[in-house]
Amino acid sequence: MTEQHTVAVEPTAGGIRTWLVGRVAHYLDETPDAIDPHASLAGYGLDSVYAFALSGEIEDTLRVTVEPTLIWDVASIADLTDRIVALIGDSSAG
Amino acid sequence: MGAEELDTLLGDPWDPQNPAGHAAALAADERAEMFAEGERRLDRYGLNAEFVPAAYGGRLTSADRLADVQRTLWRLDPSLAAGHGFSSFIGWVNVWVAGTDDQRREAASLLLGGGRIAAAFHELSHGNDLASAEFAARRDAGRWLLTGRKEVVGNLRRAEAFVLFARTADTAGSRSHSQFLISRAALPAGSVRDLPRAGSSGLRGLQLGGMELRDCPVPAGTLLGKEGEGLESAMRAFQITRAVIPSFMTGPLDTALRAAIGFASGRRLYGATAADLPYVRSVIARAHADLLAVDAVSTVVLRALHLSPAVSLYAPAAKYLTSRMALDAFEDLRSVLGAQGYLREGPYAIFQKMARDAASATFIHISRSACLAAMLPALPRLARRSWLLSPPAARELFEPGGALPPLDPDRLSVGAPTEDPVMGTLAAIGDGAGDRAGGGPAARFAARFAAELRELRDACLALPPRDITIGASPAAYALADRYSVLLAAASALALRDRFGDAELLGVLDRLAGRLGGASVLTDAERAGVEEQLYLAAAARHRDRELFDLTARRLPGQGGQP
Amino acid sequence: MSTTTAAADPVARLDAALGDPGEGGRVAAEADAGERFPAEACARLDAAGLAAYYVPVAHGGRLDDHEMLLRLLRTVARRDVTAAVAHAKTYLGAAPVWVAADRPQARTVAAAVLAGDPVGWALSEPDHGADLLNGACTAAPQPGGYRLTGVKWPVNNATRADLLTVLARTGDGGARGHSLFLFDKAAAPAGSWRELPKVATHGIRGADISGVEFTGADVPASARIGAEGTGVETVLRALQLTRTMCASLSLGAGEHALRLTARFVAGRVIQRRPLIERPFHASVLGRAAAHLAAVEAATIVACRGIHSLTAELSVLSAATKALAPTLVDSVLADLAELLGARSFLTGVHEHGAFQKLRRDHQVVAIFDGSTPVNRAGLVQQFPRLVRGWASRGADPDGLREAVQERTPPRPLDTGALTLLSRRGCSVVQSLPDLAATLTGVPAALATALCGDLDELHARMALARPAARPAMVAYELAAAYELGFAAAASLHLWAAGQDRHRGEPLWEDALWLRAALQALRSRIAATLRLPQPPAADDDERLAHVVADAARTGAPVTPFGDPVPGAPGGR
Repeated sequence: MTEQHTVAVEPTAGGIRTWLVGRVAHYLDETPDAIDPHASLAGYGLDSVYAFALSGEIEDTLRVTVEPTLIWDVASIADLTDRIVALIGDSSAG
Repeated sequence: MGAEELDTLLGDPWDPQNPAGHAAALAADERAEMFAEGERRLDRYGLNAEFVPAAYGGRLTSADRLADVQRTLWRLDPSLAAGHGFSSFIGWVNVWVAGTDDQRREAASLLLGGGRIAAAFHELSHGNDLASAEFAARRDAGRWLLTGRKEVVGNLRRAEAFVLFARTADTAGSRSHSQFLISRAALPAGSVRDLPRAGSSGLRGLQLGGMELRDCPVPAGTLLGKEGEGLESAMRAFQITRAVIPSFMTGPLDTALRAAIGFASGRRLYGATAADLPYVRSVIARAHADLLAVDAVSTVVLRALHLSPAVSLYAPAAKYLTSRMALDAFEDLRSVLGAQGYLREGPYAIFQKMARDAASATFIHISRSACLAAMLPALPRLARRSWLLSPPAARELFEPGGALPPLDPDRLSVGAPTEDPVMGTLAAIGDGAGDRAGGGPAARFAARFAAELRELRDACLALPPRDITIGASPAAYALADRYSVLLAAASALALRDRFGDAELLGVLDRLAGRLGGASVLTDAERAGVEEQLYLAAAARHRDRELFDLTARRLPGQGGQP
Repeated sequence: MSTTTAAADPVARLDAALGDPGEGGRVAAEADAGERFPAEACARLDAAGLAAYYVPVAHGGRLDDHEMLLRLLRTVARRDVTAAVAHAKTYLGAAPVWVAADRPQARTVAAAVLAGDPVGWALSEPDHGADLLNGACTAAPQPGGYRLTGVKWPVNNATRADLLTVLARTGDGGARGHSLFLFDKAAAPAGSWRELPKVATHGIRGADISGVEFTGADVPASARIGAEGTGVETVLRALQLTRTMCASLSLGAGEHALRLTARFVAGRVIQRRPLIERPFHASVLGRAAAHLAAVEAATIVACRGIHSLTAELSVLSAATKALAPTLVDSVLADLAELLGARSFLTGVHEHGAFQKLRRDHQVVAIFDGSTPVNRAGLVQQFPRLVRGWASRGADPDGLREAVQERTPPRPLDTGALTLLSRRGCSVVQSLPDLAATLTGVPAALATALCGDLDELHARMALARPAARPAMVAYELAAAYELGFAAAASLHLWAAGQDRHRGEPLWEDALWLRAALQALRSRIAATLRLPQPPAADDDERLAHVVADAARTGAPVTPFGDPVPGAPGGR
């Protein structure tokens, strides 16, 4: 679980999405190409509690503050990426 | 008003003539009824006001005050404690967390008037798995239609209102449920089918009810919080209840320990009293230490509820550990009382009732394994960000009775905490202990627990994501178990000025024993500590003082078993 | 056994005679709630002829194999512990008769038992509990006999039994100051004794736990069992038999709970998956099964040891009586956690069977000699156990017979029962030799266990026997029990692996690995040693047990099937 800290995530939509796909794949014990960024996260079985840990990883890795429940409120990894990109934009603008 | 006044109002529990004592509570238990005289006294005391924040007209100013009052009841009769007020508190916290000001006032006024609020969350087929709850609410022409079954819900039948947890979307995920605050009287006549009361082997007096509804209409305004936020509200609200419950376990343990000491001091075996047997003294000493450990960790968690977002981790950790410790202590004490601990009559009958009630109470609300699963997501993040890095906690976390900022439910967060102040304190104490080479046993314990924290950090850093879910490996669950022990050890070390020397060492030895591995104490040191602990416990029994950190004197004299 | 047909096997016959388990469970739950004696179950047991197995063959009964009696009582207990306690109490009450009575006395008791009359054992007293040496009930000598005065309470079947074996003071008390009497209510003068009312108990609520008060009851000299002053010794020798057999209650309760919980865990869906697919929950179930397998192994060897290691029974019985209820109480606590609310609700999940069996079973650790009493009994034998471990002393023939489960044992010679085993414990002391004959994983397990036992015996050597042993000595005794169970497991595995080849529990030594892991982990915790490395056998064992609970197959390596298992229908 430590590896994502040594690998810098490129703060672009593409970089963040690739990283998120990797995290979800890791959690599901799947390869990243088995993860559809447009599929429902709940459908993948990402339960409520794991969502908080992923929120924590997002904060710690991407240096952006997110609601712990952000994962609950997004439809897919793609949607999550958009939300994070927007948050990063807000925080750098502010 | 407070725990002392309540103790006075209830009188000497050991007086068989006291209509609000153990004998009467046992008689109610035999009939599987709520303890009527107990309920009358609690109404006179205005117990419900203890659940309602001062801003809404009640007396709830801090969690430790609430816990003090509750512990008094858990010592007397856990059925009364759980069934008279606490089940209303479980419903109320959801209103407090998610309700509009009007809903809060409505619920507060119901409670302050002596009414009840049931928490209709549980479905027998889903247990703790709230996200799978099936009871459904669907929108229909500006109102909600309710369909489904709720089962094993405390006071459901006799509560004037209930908080309902219901599915409001068919999709999987964590935004598919909502809460409702529903007045029983507002339900259309004949729309509710009450299910037969569920019987139970412990907490026999509890009125565990169920209901079945089919297309039962309720107004739109019954929605509590936003649609889809039911699970999140519950997770926030239940931090409060789960932070408070661990302290209750000192109640049944206090009474059981009192019965065991009374028995051992009076019983003649092999030409001496049972209390002369080293085995009996050790068991009593260890149970006393366990009680103090439970008190230490629950005291800190109660204060953390006001002071630290890490309570989202501390609460399940403490609920898990204190349940285990209490049940284990009951098993050990059972061996002291022998046949007398197995009888539902005679001077020690209260023991078996406390054992049954405590065992059932550990399932209230959330099971121990669910507590561990709830802790897991927090651990890797704290390992990365906090353990061995963060500073010690602010001193006020470890000052029982000290002033606290108001409990603000809006500040409760469901996320994984970023700081762990209690472990910060453990690391600091452990560092200090390491500096004093050749320090006493307390320093050796501090170093032992700090070393354990380092191991725990390394293990948690290596946890793969799958291992922070319900599907985690047994080894991962074991890490959560170890964390809970460290939380208690850190709490005891931080509270060391509140303990006598032998008490502190006894507590730390019991906790270290739960971690396993080499003993910190030598056999001779342990024997010495336990002898002193036994003598301290016997003195508290004789003087009618509580076995917990307060050592408060109880009403009554003589006539203890 | 594959060679035994179901019809010929007394265990299968008894199970069939008990009828539908679901209906039996409902009746038992009702009787428990109403505190009514389990009369229907006892009538079925009478009709099935169970009582004949309480009477030695020499006295006209069918008791020639205590392993068979163990299996029979366990079969009753896995339905209803209360019924087992109520019925099997007769065996306990009669045991001192088989040990010390003369032939006419034995004939009288045998005839009564075979006729279905309960026999009680009146040992406990209100203020003295299990302290046999300080009883206040007296038998004052008078011409032609004795006069009994005093109270025996609480006593199982005190009211229902017509015959009671009574320990009473015939001198100044102490070891030679008591004698044992056969009290026949029908023969005693009216008004010289009375029954004391049934006591309200936490579990076994329907059992006849009551008492008897003697107010100058005259008994003839012929009622005395054995010579005057031998009462305590007779009781202690008989207790070696009964304490060993008490483990049948623990095995039955444990098996019942394991089956109930395994079925639940296999079917319960949490977060969209059955609980059994969650590694943690499976491991809890598997660990429970591993503990039960260990208890079973210890118990079988001890029961067979009644016949072939009779002179060592002071060790085997104390270890078994302390171990079995302690581990099973702990197993039940863990299984309760898996069951959640169903562990304490009375109406649901097979009539609230779990909460009943849990309460019922809690009596086992306190009656017939409590756990601390038995541990103190082991502590007194530490010096010989330490010497025996050092010398690897063993009775090879007796040991071989003790570990050949389900083979006819030699007849029991009650004269060989002794209060202190001279040889120590062959089962434990032969472990290094056994380890040398094993290969693969079992050899590694045996070697590791030898290391644990070296450390244990080194500490036992330092714990001086004392009238009031220190707590640390009790802990060493607890570790010794675990070591005994581990050694018994290894012996039984070595002796049985060929016969059981192909059975899922035996595949890859599955049960043995899990049992040794559970026991070594407990030994380490008790001795405050580092834990053995973790293993994943518990999870694999859980799946085997869940399948067995569904089909009615045995859930333990030496268990019996349940033909009418709910999940199998």
